Amino acid sequence: MSTPSVTTRAAPATSSLASSARFRTFAITFAIVGPVIYMLCLQMNWPLFTFHPATNRIALGWEAARSGEGPNMTWYGWTAMALLVGGVLSYLVTFLPESITKRIPLILVWLLPILAIPYLVYDLRQWWFHP
Amino acid sequence: MNIISVNTFWTIWLLVHLMLAVFLLGALTHQAVSAVMPVGKIAGPGGFVTRFRAVPAAGYATAVCVLWVLTFIVGSYIYTKYRIYIRIPIEQAGYWKTQGFFDFKEHVASICLMLLPAYWYFWKNAQNPEYDTARKAVTVYLAVACWFLFIVGHVLNNTRGFGS
Repeated sequence: MSTPSVTTRAAPATSSLASSARFRTFAITFAIVGPVIYMLCLQMNWPLFTFHPATNRIALGWEAARSGEGPNMTWYGWTAMALLVGGVLSYLVTFLPESITKRIPLILVWLLPILAIPYLVYDLRQWWFHP
Repeated sequence: MNIISVNTFWTIWLLVHLMLAVFLLGALTHQAVSAVMPVGKIAGPGGFVTRFRAVPAAGYATAVCVLWVLTFIVGSYIYTKYRIYIRIPIEQAGYWKTQGFFDFKEHVASICLMLLPAYWYFWKNAQNPEYDTARKAVTVYLAVACWFLFIVGHVLNNTRGFGS
């Protein structure tokens, strides 16, 4: 008796998005520039906005925690900045000729996120070595 | 009118975050194992591992994207309370590495969010061998990241979470 074989391959893409060359360019570019912009925002402390959870106040850009108003949160702002700038850049790249966008190396899609890990470990060193 | 207490309200959201993460973890683990060790023709019924990886992996892609986004949104929502009611006591107790791992978790979750469009595209074009390596690598990356996020969240909840 044999069970039917199962393959990881899907049928050829039928949805317009999955077969769109422009979406391919957008998705691949976004996966490359998004994490890079996020880490740049983290390194330079460039949040799109700062959220103050105790008062529910949102300030554009970076703002220090105010005395008596609890902590500030910048992670939302870093993520929003990376999504926004990464999204706009990736959208603009879709207007380039396909002969150029085809040359974007696919390896960067997974290599950069892997390289982000040692950078993040280094960036968070204050927690690992806190006395 | 208060139907439920504030604590119950946030606990429900924490559990929603947990359940979404469990669904995501299951889907991504099946898919990653299937992508790395695809099942060919099987002679006989096959063991547990064979059955575990014998899933139609491509069909998981959209669900994984939706689940990641939903888990991310709910996690972001409860993060506002975490920052005040969990993180401050954790710092006061001197659990620095625990806090470090939470910060690590938030960064990894954001980076993975940006991989989703490419991940989805690679799986929707899984018949194209050009994307094989990238598809497998991104899927394994997301699966490993998901396990990491889940375990860190679990440890943090044990440190100071549900019921505290």
